[in-house]
Amino acid sequence: MTAEAERPISVMVVDDHPIWRDGVARDLAERGFDVRATAADASSAVRIARAARPDVVLMDLNLGAESGADATREITAGLPGTRVLVLSASGEHSDVLEAVKAGASGYLVKSASAEELVAAVRRTAAGDAVFTAGLAGLVLGEYRRMAAGPDDAAAPKLTERETEVLRLVAKGRTARQIADRLVLSHRTVENHVQSTLRKLQLHNRVELARYAIEHGLDGDPEQ
Amino acid sequence: MSPAGRPGRKHPTRPLWRAAVLLRVITLFFAAGVVFTHRGDYANTGLAWGTIGVMAAWTALTFWYYLRAGHGRLWFTIVDLAVCCALMCVSRFALTHEQLTALKVPLLPTVWVTAVVAIGAIRAGALGGAIFGLVVSAFNYGVRGYFDTDLTRDMVLLVGVGIVLGLLSENQVRAAEIAERLAQAMRAEAATAERERLARTIHDGVLQVLARVRKRGRELGGEAAELAELAGHQEVALRALVAAAPLESTSDGHADLRPRLQVLASDRYQVSVPATAVLVAECAATELTFLVREALENVDRHAGPDARAWVLLEDVGDEVVLSVRDDGVGIAAGRIAAAEQEGRLGIARSIRGRVRELGGTISLETAPGAGTEWEIRVPNKRGERGQR
Repeated sequence: MTAEAERPISVMVVDDHPIWRDGVARDLAERGFDVRATAADASSAVRIARAARPDVVLMDLNLGAESGADATREITAGLPGTRVLVLSASGEHSDVLEAVKAGASGYLVKSASAEELVAAVRRTAAGDAVFTAGLAGLVLGEYRRMAAGPDDAAAPKLTERETEVLRLVAKGRTARQIADRLVLSHRTVENHVQSTLRKLQLHNRVELARYAIEHGLDGDPEQ
Repeated sequence: MSPAGRPGRKHPTRPLWRAAVLLRVITLFFAAGVVFTHRGDYANTGLAWGTIGVMAAWTALTFWYYLRAGHGRLWFTIVDLAVCCALMCVSRFALTHEQLTALKVPLLPTVWVTAVVAIGAIRAGALGGAIFGLVVSAFNYGVRGYFDTDLTRDMVLLVGVGIVLGLLSENQVRAAEIAERLAQAMRAEAATAERERLARTIHDGVLQVLARVRKRGRELGGEAAELAELAGHQEVALRALVAAAPLESTSDGHADLRPRLQVLASDRYQVSVPATAVLVAECAATELTFLVREALENVDRHAGPDARAWVLLEDVGDEVVLSVRDDGVGIAAGRIAAAEQEGRLGIARSIRGRVRELGGTISLETAPGAGTEWEIRVPNKRGERGQR
């Protein structure tokens, strides 16, 4: 949050729909954000993000034929200082989960108000996860799918506390309410939520690397 | 599905039938020409011309019959064969003995009988064609009363034509079936693609604009905020509709609970589900959907005008956990029990009873000002198997 006092948070908006893209860019600019760039498709989003290096990329998932999840993976892997916040009208479904596993720090529905959007961008820039109830339901489901699947020692598991926190988020409770209910600090609740995402993303990267090695996609074996 | 079974669809062998009846017309003229050439030499010229007359009539009748339906019935093609053979036999009386043996004058129908072999082949395939060819050849030998290379050559040609045309006809039918199956697959694919295109169009166009209208209208306030509210209702309903997977049951009587709950979402009610299918027995899916709908209606009626609700569906081990929470006014302790005793409260009785019937449990957490939270646990597909 201290960064905000020194310089405005820089943002990039990726959406193939001009009405929405320009509207969001204007909303954010009016509220003092530095809207550094916009992009209409996944490949130019990756290219422009590399040049503009924004703090936060607002990523739509329906980019015509291209996938916002792939762009999210490339941006978060190549730019450690840039975080991706998914802003989608697509409903909370497998593509949202895919983007989050690919490295997005959170998700917001497009019907969120301007205040909610601004708050979410601030939280993302500060390194916090932005969870909706719907995303919490998806993440819970993903951990349970892995737990029910074939015994995989590498598959991440939720601690009891993390499950408890995620379930409360999925039932619409705010971090503040959860902190009160579980008698924890607000910060601890945030950390629990973040940790559920981080484990999922790490596992996803490990899986991708393992897949690449098994299928000989890890570059020249001579090197 | 047989191509012949579809009304208004051309039979795949129709062009072959057309060729066969045309062959019969052409060979009729040839037969008439032969009789004309030998008109003075026959034992019974009148009978010869009479036979040509019958052949002409039969040609006309079969021409009409075979082309009308596009193909013939098997019994009729056998009658056809019998007529042809009978006409060959008439030659025995019309031709002199010398004409039949030494002079080798053609029988009255001559090559006209080739057409019936073709018809047999087209109707009944290679085997049918071969049999028709053999029958005609047998009559050819019988009427002449001797064997020689010419007659044997005729037999080889007739049987050969029968087999070749029969194979062609079978192939034609098979190709039509494959084409029909391919067309069906393409229709199904086109329907799926169309559904996806529609969903994408709604995503990219209508939803984006509705979201924008709602957002901007709310900021502008006043009448614009009212319009924004209306746009918002439609946006959420449409998003839920597009996002929901198709409502389908699996063949073993289980259904994915997710799409049934997702369509209940609105701007006040949020529905959270996993990314993978949550399978429960078909009847349980219907009951649970009904329960959630009832719980949400309760929120509408009793929780207060600004109350929001969250539905969470989880698939844990052997059971499905369904939570419905609202942030409304809540219910005072003992109010439910009191109402139950008075026998007038619907929720407790109907919800508890239904869940018990599904082999599940239900719990309620509520306090004045703290909203209500129902938690329903019922066996999922794995859980049912464990119970048996």
